Amino acid sequence: MSDVKTGLSRRGFLKAGAAGVAIKISLLSAPTQAELIETPPRPGADWLSGGKPKYRLDAIAKVTGGKTFTRDYRARDLEGWPKEQAHAFMLHATRVDRVFDGVDLSLLGDELKPDRLVLQEDLVADGVAMPAPWPGFYGDVFFVPKGQTARLLGQPVAMLIYHDFARYDAAKRKLRFNDKVVRYGAEGASTTPGPYGAARYVRIDGGNPDADDRYSALKDTTIRAGFKGIEPQWPAAGEGDAMARGMAAAAEIEREIATAGDDVLVLRRSYSTQSADASAMEADNGNVWYERGTGVLHALVATQSPHEVAELAAHMLAKSKFPLGSIDLRIGYTVGYGTKDHALFPFFCVLAGLYGEGRPVRLANDRYEQFQTALKRHAFQMEKVMVIDRKTGKFRAMTGRYQNDGGGRENFSVSVGTVGATAAQSIYYLPKSDFSAAILSSRAVDAGSMRGYGTLQTMAATEMMVDEAAEALGLDPMEFRRRNALKSGMKNSQGAIPSGALRHGEILAKAEKHPLWVNRQKRKAEFEANNPGKKYGVGYGHVHKDYGTGAEAALCALEFDASGRLKLSHVAHEIGTGATTSQAVMAAAILGKQPDETVFGKVRWPQMPLETTDEPYTLSQEEEDKRMANPRWTPSFTSPMSASNSVYYLGHATREAARALVELTVWPAARSLWSRGIGGGQMAPEAVRREDLRVVNGKVTAAAMQPLPFAEVAAEAHRLGLATGITVHSFNRWQWAEAEFELPGTGRRRFAIDALALKYGDGAPAERKALMTQGGWHFVERASVSYPPTQRNNAGVTYYAPMATLAELVVDTGTGEVSLLSHHSILECGNQIVPELVSGQIQGGLAMGIGHALKEYLPLYEDGPGDGTWNWNRYELPTSNDVAVWKQTAEVLPPLSDTDPPKGMAEVVMIAVVPAIVNGVAHAIGKRFYTLPLTPERIKEALA
Amino acid sequence: MARKLLLAALAVAVVGALGAGAVFLGLFERSVVAKEIEQPLSAEQMKTLAKRGAYVAVAADCYACHVVKGGAPWAGGLPFETPLGTIFSTNISPDKEHGIGNWTRAEFHRAVRDGVGKHGHLYPAMPYASYRKLTADDVDAVYAFLMSREPMKVANRANHMPFPLNIRQGLTFWNLVNLSSDTKTEVAGRSALWNRGRYLTDALAHCGECHTPRNLAMGMKESAYLQGSELEGVIAPDITKAGLTRMGFDPLVFASFMKSGISAQGAMTNQMFEVVHFSTQYFTAGDLAAMSAYLFDLDKLPESVTPPAPPKPVAVSAEVAASARASYIAVCASCHGIDGQGIPHVVVPLATNASLRLADARNLNKVILTGIPAQRFPGLERMQPMPGFAGQLSDQQVADLSNWLRASWGGQQPTVTAEEVKRLR
Amino acid sequence: MTIPTKQLSLTINDKAVGPIDVPETMMMQDFLYEYLNLTGSRMGCGQGICHACTVVLEKADGSLEEMRTCITGAHWFAGRKVRTVEGQAKRDANGAITELSPVQQAFIEHFSFQCGYCTPGFVTGATVLLDQLRRNPVKREALEQAISEALDRHICRCTGYVRYFEAVRDLALKTPGLVKA
Repeated sequence: MSDVKTGLSRRGFLKAGAAGVAIKISLLSAPTQAELIETPPRPGADWLSGGKPKYRLDAIAKVTGGKTFTRDYRARDLEGWPKEQAHAFMLHATRVDRVFDGVDLSLLGDELKPDRLVLQEDLVADGVAMPAPWPGFYGDVFFVPKGQTARLLGQPVAMLIYHDFARYDAAKRKLRFNDKVVRYGAEGASTTPGPYGAARYVRIDGGNPDADDRYSALKDTTIRAGFKGIEPQWPAAGEGDAMARGMAAAAEIEREIATAGDDVLVLRRSYSTQSADASAMEADNGNVWYERGTGVLHALVATQSPHEVAELAAHMLAKSKFPLGSIDLRIGYTVGYGTKDHALFPFFCVLAGLYGEGRPVRLANDRYEQFQTALKRHAFQMEKVMVIDRKTGKFRAMTGRYQNDGGGRENFSVSVGTVGATAAQSIYYLPKSDFSAAILSSRAVDAGSMRGYGTLQTMAATEMMVDEAAEALGLDPMEFRRRNALKSGMKNSQGAIPSGALRHGEILAKAEKHPLWVNRQKRKAEFEANNPGKKYGVGYGHVHKDYGTGAEAALCALEFDASGRLKLSHVAHEIGTGATTSQAVMAAAILGKQPDETVFGKVRWPQMPLETTDEPYTLSQEEEDKRMANPRWTPSFTSPMSASNSVYYLGHATREAARALVELTVWPAARSLWSRGIGGGQMAPEAVRREDLRVVNGKVTAAAMQPLPFAEVAAEAHRLGLATGITVHSFNRWQWAEAEFELPGTGRRRFAIDALALKYGDGAPAERKALMTQGGWHFVERASVSYPPTQRNNAGVTYYAPMATLAELVVDTGTGEVSLLSHHSILECGNQIVPELVSGQIQGGLAMGIGHALKEYLPLYEDGPGDGTWNWNRYELPTSNDVAVWKQTAEVLPPLSDTDPPKGMAEVVMIAVVPAIVNGVAHAIGKRFYTLPLTPERIKEALA
Repeated sequence: MARKLLLAALAVAVVGALGAGAVFLGLFERSVVAKEIEQPLSAEQMKTLAKRGAYVAVAADCYACHVVKGGAPWAGGLPFETPLGTIFSTNISPDKEHGIGNWTRAEFHRAVRDGVGKHGHLYPAMPYASYRKLTADDVDAVYAFLMSREPMKVANRANHMPFPLNIRQGLTFWNLVNLSSDTKTEVAGRSALWNRGRYLTDALAHCGECHTPRNLAMGMKESAYLQGSELEGVIAPDITKAGLTRMGFDPLVFASFMKSGISAQGAMTNQMFEVVHFSTQYFTAGDLAAMSAYLFDLDKLPESVTPPAPPKPVAVSAEVAASARASYIAVCASCHGIDGQGIPHVVVPLATNASLRLADARNLNKVILTGIPAQRFPGLERMQPMPGFAGQLSDQQVADLSNWLRASWGGQQPTVTAEEVKRLR
Repeated sequence: MTIPTKQLSLTINDKAVGPIDVPETMMMQDFLYEYLNLTGSRMGCGQGICHACTVVLEKADGSLEEMRTCITGAHWFAGRKVRTVEGQAKRDANGAITELSPVQQAFIEHFSFQCGYCTPGFVTGATVLLDQLRRNPVKREALEQAISEALDRHICRCTGYVRYFEAVRDLALKTPGLVKA
């Protein structure tokens, strides 16, 4: 989910980790998927009707309480594992001002003493390394070392391992909430790391949106800075290098603001947003068995980034006293809203396994521990300035200074801060802009990737301020938005041109005509007359959110046997969004045949002997040019399940594989069948072209040709020895990598992928079969490849999905409570693969946005979640009564055509409702708010 | 606060004395409202007074009774169920038609301090017997504040009182017996803190209305001042020094309890939750200290906390203990802790809980049976709803549990019977 | 290891379970997970707030009640009849599912859930609600309110509740006898 990993390299780790360890990762499936396939109503042949799934691929397992989540599994459920399950829990530091002085377990007596106690000193003695995508990512230590202060509140100090559940349970209930158990000594120096980074995006256009920019990040550079205290030390302005010129451009914008005359409105506002917990209902957990003798690390972990977990687990052990044979990582279905992507918890699970003395050990957070240790949403402090021409009602410039608190471990904080800054322009075209992010550290629980990823904070604030600006200008807020909304081909604040058509105009037109908006004044008068003490308001928010990370890699394989039985294998796994369902649907839509077998979360691809150093953001162009000469090199192997990346990016691999299969196999096989018989058969009389090929009701036809069931085509393909299996690897850096391949018997073909492997049918000649040396596949070395230039990294983003929400609400002037009467949303996401999944995401995103606007709040420090006493009694989540469950509506713009690609929309859907609510409250009571959430206390204060 | 018993007695008073015409005509009524109050307040006076009035109105807890859940602020409508009928609190927003928009300063004073409103006598559900002790300045401040609110066009609801109780003039009799003309709360020789505390307790916060038992004439029984009473089946505990100490409070802890509503002694429930929610959480540190100093009868508060000694456990029979412990583990322990320690910021402890230390077990038994709704306490404290266990536990199991809890942690004799529990269902 | 235990026998999903030695203080949820390998009733808050862990209590009079297993001791269920989410669908001798319960069927057809972690609680809650409606039908105009009151305490973080609630409403409307004219 990161688009900028400032100057940080992973080479150091790679040296350490290059132990040549075999990594095997597979979606935990045996019982679940078997059940899924066996269970009536069968998701077999009739699962898809007219290309629409009757229900989610995982629906039956989930609705019947089948084992689906990692959390559901115990050792006895895992093939080949010992049956006895050991259990572990951790003790945490709740203060950072005094040094850790050991744990006092006397409460437990002899009875409940742990079978194994693990402290930082053990890890040091045993040479267990800190996992690190780059140095400092997860901090410097797992546990607080004796005699040192904790890096952050809630940092674990010790792990207690029990060989049986009963004693584990009794001991945990005795120790939890007891402030005598963790002992502290004298006051000690702070060990919290310093600020994490600073980046700045300055742009001045060339006089109009189409002209070349005078300065922009894409054309020139992203400006970086070090710190003095918590103040970024930006480079000096000057004529010199790109950064100096960037600062000169920034200074020019500053001057324009300072000297602005009466013909412009200069609006300055400060906004702040709260720290928040994702409250994924499955708390972090894992179950790890380190098999003595073989040194195999068997792990079952809840994660959105399995490849990362396996890679870094190997790194942890590389130089330790624990010999590593191989890593056997399995993953269950999970959910995290980003917080299980690159989280530290899986590595604590690995520790539990290492010290399990040959037993499988389960480490599973309860909700208090989850609040105490899980990644949080960054709190943002924002200083924004808007400069608007009063006559034209158009932006002249917008600037923003953003600070986000990353807590005591770096994680993706830098990326979250910079993504927030690049999103601050929201949907508006800005002739001049200067957005900077200062990413700070603190003793707070560490923050990282979470749905919205910085844009929730900065775009929501921009939309609140736009509403206030329109009022100050005496302009209708819709009209003000229309005048400034980005149009197709206009540049974003990094100077990049977003992908495809921008359809904000259509969305504004729909919103403006919606009864909620048209009748808002009339309804306000009526409602308030009939409801003394209640104030009615309607607010609007309109945003667009990037999807993807700027380094999106994926793998997909499609293969079929002579009977036409189709198998889909994919790196994607299920985090609740329905990714597995939609991959299967996309393949079926192109092939006219739904997969009979699916394997998800597959990360071991013997047919793809690729090499990568996984530095897609930091590699120089020269270096990349050198490396891409190696036909097995790729900038990145695979991506986590995050950044709303499944349908477009992971789906691209599926769609490319399916299209290639049609190209290389279905078309020639069908042609061969249609050409049977004398004189060229039924095909001879017709001029049938490749572009005539269609899949109708699961059958292949073209022009007047007899429709052929997939099974017949498959049999023919095998008879002819065509490609009957295809594996692709795709890479995207805000545009797709493309490569050419020399295909035996077919010739040179170009696809939007960078690596390809084929399987040949039964009838293939021996010499072609002889090529299938990579686990039964023929890895076809590419003849040529073109990767997007590394400068593209500065684009920030180019793929956006827009969403707008109208919120109708009531403020109770007595209690200060804000309640939603109804809301209507308008989304644009290209072609929907499964509309039910899209609408589910919209509804769920809206609920999370409503919680962020009105309810969810965490203090950052000593009284915050690090103290280990937080649960959902105090952290109030939205319930059905909060979301207008019976009254909400949404619409999705029709796609431009049937080739309009699907857009990632899982994050954007939660954002627009936040400013819509704040703007609605302003309409209701005439007060603007600059701090979230809008609690009853804040509203009452404003009304007092 | 509801006044069921009071109304019942009022009936007696009224019917009994209906004949005595002179009283009926109110000839003996003594207003404590001075002549100069007839003089209206200037616009500026109203403006400056309104600010202070916001605090006085909060300290007097006017709002809790003059609003209904989800209703318009200050518009009244809160029902007071009595055995003889239902009366409703009135609209005191400055709406000219339905509220007090047309009331003069003097009319307001007479309503608050004499119990005689612009349109006739008030029922003593309005605590004018206590408000009578308010200073004219404070009443002015509240008047100015209320007049600064947004008028609410909400009609008053008609009371459902049978004849002759619907003849409000009949209240002259009750007033004759229960309204004293001595409205001074100041006691020479006591500290300003103590005296402020007394004024807060007796006049503004009108604590006695619930915590002082009623005499035959259903006035506040001065001989048992603040020693506890019962209303609507709930015990309003003894809040004298002795009573507070028995519940485990010390002057400092009590002061913070009145601010936060939560302490080791438990969390405020029922009507006291509303008192904290609408009133005492907004008290100044000085007023909290004053109220605590007065109730503990101290001229100044101690520097540090000295918790009273915990009660000595009382033995219960083995079978009661066995039954109780099983119930406790089954439905209490996961939240209140196996040792009654509770969970910080989540669930109150039972080992130190005040409701286990009351002589009367009714409050505890009621809570075990019906639970407690979710409550938002000041700051970030939130209590999830406590489930009631009427469906999970039999009368005998509740009695055993109650006896065991009260005996082991409250030092109370195990006197609760299954019949007693049955009656509460 | 001498943690005090007690023998526990009860009926779960129509099958007699026990007697099993179970620690006196163990919560029902942990008993289901660690002793019976029934992990469908999910641990969300562990504190009785989110209702992901609920099971159906089948009472003597045939009525149903929703119970939170994370805050109720295992031994409280001694001698009682419980139905967990695993026991809602019909299964054949090998445990393979042959027919979903009406609530389960409605949920999958409405794409009601995403991650599915809270689904067992919603299946339980909706099943109990339908049983109550069968005993005391509501007027059509009161149906949405009845559903909200019964299910609002269930927390879902993915779906925004809409598809769960609509599934229950549609099922209540097409099931005879739950809604009065």
